[in-house]
Parts: sequence; structure tokens; C-alpha cells
Amino acid sequence: MDSTANFSQFRRQSKKGILVIYLNILYKAFKAFWIFLFLFIQKFSKFSESTLFYIYVGVALLLIFFFIRAYLIFKNFQFKIENHHFILKKGIIKKTNTSISFDRIQNINFKQNIIQQIINVHEVNIETAGSSKAEISIKALSFKKASALKQAITIFDKSATEQAAEEVETPLLKVGFLELIKVSLTENHLQSLLLLVAILISFFQQISDLFEGLGKREILDNYISKNTSSLENSIILIVGLLIFFTIIAVLSSVVRVVLKHFNLTVFVKNNALEIYQGLTTKNAVILKKDKVQHITISDNPIKKKLGISFITFKQAISGKVKKKQDKIIKIVGCKGAQIEAIKTLLFPDENLENFDKNFSDSYFRNRMYLRGGLFLSIMNGVLFLAFDVSHAFWINILLIPVFIFSIELSFRKQYYLFNNEFLIVGQGTIETHKTYVPFFKVQHVKLKQTVFQARKNIADVVFQTASGKIKIPCISIAKAHKIYNYTLFKVETSQKSWM
Amino acid sequence: MIDSFQNIAVTSFPEITKTDFKPIENKYLKVILINTFIVFIIVLVLVFFADYKNILEFIENTIWIYVGMVFCFISVLIVKKIGLKKRKYAVREKDISYEKGILFRSLTTVPFNRIQHVEIDEGPISRLFGLVSLSVFTAGDSSDDLKVSGLLKEEAKQIKEFISNKIDG
Repeated sequence: MDSTANFSQFRRQSKKGILVIYLNILYKAFKAFWIFLFLFIQKFSKFSESTLFYIYVGVALLLIFFFIRAYLIFKNFQFKIENHHFILKKGIIKKTNTSISFDRIQNINFKQNIIQQIINVHEVNIETAGSSKAEISIKALSFKKASALKQAITIFDKSATEQAAEEVETPLLKVGFLELIKVSLTENHLQSLLLLVAILISFFQQISDLFEGLGKREILDNYISKNTSSLENSIILIVGLLIFFTIIAVLSSVVRVVLKHFNLTVFVKNNALEIYQGLTTKNAVILKKDKVQHITISDNPIKKKLGISFITFKQAISGKVKKKQDKIIKIVGCKGAQIEAIKTLLFPDENLENFDKNFSDSYFRNRMYLRGGLFLSIMNGVLFLAFDVSHAFWINILLIPVFIFSIELSFRKQYYLFNNEFLIVGQGTIETHKTYVPFFKVQHVKLKQTVFQARKNIADVVFQTASGKIKIPCISIAKAHKIYNYTLFKVETSQKSWM
Repeated sequence: MIDSFQNIAVTSFPEITKTDFKPIENKYLKVILINTFIVFIIVLVLVFFADYKNILEFIENTIWIYVGMVFCFISVLIVKKIGLKKRKYAVREKDISYEKGILFRSLTTVPFNRIQHVEIDEGPISRLFGLVSLSVFTAGDSSDDLKVSGLLKEEAKQIKEFISNKIDG
């Protein structure tokens, strides 16, 4: 494939890109102004014919303006490849010129939302570990062009081309629909519920902003307080709500997992993992082995029974940007053999199973009890101030056992072990997480000690990697110093690049 | 079963505990003093203004606020003064370390081959005393990488030079 020749001149994306950009702008506009639309529909009958006419004209003009904008964005979006650099020109009035060296490119991802699926184009995202400005998103390329571009960028990766011959086309992992349902039913439903609540709250805020603007705030407040006061009276309602929330939580996890991970397929190619997933938005991610900073293997009791767990891959994130969720890549529904395969791909020849687990000092448990106790007493204080009735304190009967249970669990699950190359840190309460990090990927180490810890001769060790912190809490100072020195020794003598 | 700590094949490598740490310049105490004093004055003015405008009338005797503030100020100064002696740094062959804290002690080491860039900052008050602060940054979320305040300008420049040579070389 003479793919490089294709990209040596500046070129635009596929013409269908105009449509994708146009719809994208419309979608954004809709998201910002949907409340006006809502108002408009509500008051539709109250408008006189002439105002209606002006509104239609205005909307039409706006649509045309958006279309011209989309066309100009398309027209000015040009890219090419030169000297191992990806060069991009864009901007209508404010022109920007971006150039990214191939070494800095962390990922090349393909994505397809519903529209892109219908018109059969792929969105190509080029991710770097640098600033967010360097993230490039090409909205529409035909599959052939997209793969040619990917090839052109990755072709210089020598190790990749050497091994290209022994490519295996059978997927390492394929999660079917039933399997996915199984995965989603055993998800952390509480987390799903919280996510849903967060979405609903932002939705509610938008609505309440609207009502406030219209001076109807009180009506809404009255409505809510009326409902909450009756809620206090009826236990049946509470139980009903609990069941309702449980169902909602389970449903929302099922929907979330199925939407995100539908038809999850993982290939091992050229020393990299290729991950395809998604229902409405199809996602293809290529995970280069060297770019992975650390991985976490997690499961919970039910998943353990079913023999499935999920792996989270953490890649380098840039300093000032907020934690980017999409840089965390998750593979759900892994069986034991597949985990082994992924582990051997990322960390070959490492046998860590027959090492002793080192546990934290009992101070760690005491600290958790202290913090938990503090939290509980603050909560009780707030309850005392907020409610006059003493019924509210009954919640402690439920909370205290939960606290004790989870503290004991997390103390028991907190351990660490390491061999010459790797550190494993285990943690978790109901879920169990096992994090693997190679010593040479550590960016800096920190030893932390409070006065109380100093009296007991224990310390916390914090390993900072390019993708986040890993902490070993409360171990004896002698061991902490040993592991500290050893980490520094490994990092300073390592010849491998951490990225 | 294998014990991780017994398994370490290399038996001798430089130990951080046996490294000589250097305290930062004593002059830096004056900088801290002035900085704390400025904050104190600002808070004092704000409280005085609030008092003057009778915003604080729900407190019976406002004099206690001032007493409390002075007490806070003095205790902060004492903590800072003791804390200053605990602020130490060490530059070794391949890394730089910084130690600090009385109540919350911490020791951080950044290997040179992970450093992305080095920065020297001169605050307005530090400049009066010829002091600077040296920060090193690594990849990823580098919000709490290493920062050594209260270094002599010459010394900081030397360290920066040293690190830059190590990174490039």
C-alpha cells in the first residue's frame, strides 16, 4: 500500500464530513437551547401568525448559517503527513497549525456514532499524552482512508512491522450478548445509580433554572416539599422507593454496559491490543503495549463465582487537563485464560503468583475507624441540626454495621507484593482490585508519615505514575525504605522508555 | 512462598536514609515571616472593617476575635519556624529528594531520567533576600511534584544546570 504517498499533500476529509460536522453543530445548539424549544412548543398557540413567520425565518437563517459554518470548517480542515509528523491546519478565522511527532502519538482510535454508521464514515481520533490541544479528531473518513492513515502513522514503528507477519486474526476475546447481560447484572449497581442521579440532577438544575427565570420557583419547591413530607410518613412508600431504585439501578447498569460494550471484541496484533465495542457509538481503540502505564484487574464476589472480571488499562494523562475518562480503557467480561493472555502480552515471563502477600499494619485499620467515626459524628451532628425528631438517628443502626464490615474488608484486602520488575497492590471492599505496575514506569516516589505514624514507626508509600497515584498505606518504616530505595534503583537504572 | 523483600537480587544500592540532606537557607525564615505577616494584616483589616460596620454585632465582645487572631498568628509562626528546620533537600548522582513537615512528614524523590522540565521561580519577597524556589516536573498529573523553596539563586542555577545536563546526557 503506497499509503504515505496519499498523505504527503494536504487533503481534506471525506465530503460526507460536512454532514457530520453540520449535525454535530445542530446537536450542540439543540443541547444549549432545548429549553427554548420546549417553551416554544408549550406556547405555540399563543403566537400570532406574523411572529410565527418571523420565528420560522429566524430558525431557517440560523440553519443556513450553521450549514455555511460547517462547510467552512470542512473547507479549512486539512491534514498531511511529513517527516514523521502529522500536520493539521484548521480554523475559519483563527487559523491553527498543529504538528505532532509520531513518537508522541499515544493512540489512534476509530469511532462511529449512529450518523457516521448510516453514512458509512469513520471518525479518527489521534490521542497524545500532551496537552488537550494536541488531541485531533477527524470527523469523517472512509474506512479505507482511515486505515491507510493509521497504517501510515504506525508503519514507522519498526517492531510492529517485523511482527506483522505473524498476525493472528482470531479474536482473543469476544463477549456475546448473553455474556454481556451477565456482566451488566453483576456490575456495581450503586455506582450506576449514582451516575444516573448525577445526570438527573444536572437535568433538574436546568429545569429549575428555567422555572426560576419564570418566577415559578415556589411552585416547584412546594411540589417537592409536599412530596417529601408525605414521604416521611409512609414506610411503605420508602420500601417501594427502595425497590424502585434498585430496579432503576440494575436497569441503568444493563443499559450502560450494553450501550458501551456491545459486541466487545479484542484482538492481539503487532504487540498491541485492538478493542472494538459499542452499540450506538462504535469504538475502536488500539492500545499499544508500551503506552500502558498500569493495569488493574477487578472483580466482585458474584463475578468471581461466574469466573469473570474486568481489566482497566491506564495510560498517561497530561498534567493540567482534568482526569479524562476516555483515556481509561476497560475490557469487561474476561475469563481467567484471557486475563493470563493479556498479562503475558503486557508483562511477559512474570510469575507473581507464589509470592507472599505483605499486609498493612493494624494502624491502617485504626485510622479507617477513626475517619469513619469522624464522618459518622459529623453526619449525626448535621442530622441533629436538620431534624427535630430523634427518628433520624435510627439510621445509625444501619450505618454502623456497614461501616465496620467495609473497614474490616478493606483492611483484609489491602496487600502488596513485588518481584524484581513489578509491584502488585491489592485493595477493595466488596469489589477486589489488583493493580500491576512495573517499577520503571514510576515517575516519582513519596514517603508520607504523620506524627502518630512516626510514633508507631510506620509510613505510607505513594508511587506516582504518569497515569495516577498508587498508594501502599501504613507499612513498617524499614520495609517502606527498602521498597523506596529499590524503586529508585529500578527507575534510575532502567533503559526502557516509560512511554 | 517467596518473600518479596528477600527476593531482591541486588543487595547494595544507594539508600535514601544514609544520604546527607542539606537544610534550606536560614534567610528563608524572614520570607515566611513577611508573607505570614502580610496575610495576617489583610485578615486583620478585613475583620476590623467588619467590626467597624457592625456586621459582627452577634458577638458580644469583639476584642476576643483579635486576641484569637494574634494567638493564631503566633502559633503559625512557631510551627513555621520549627518546620523550616525540617525542610531539607539532597541532590544525588541520579535523583533529587526533598523532605519536610513536622505533623505531616513527607519525603519525595524524583529520578532525573523522569524529569520533564525544571523551573526556577523568584517571588517578590524572596527576591529581596536573593532566594528562589526550584520546581521539577514529571509526566502525568504533576501537581505535587517536587518544589524546593528558599535556595540561593546561584545554588539553584547550579542544580538546574546539573539536572539539565543529566537529562540531555
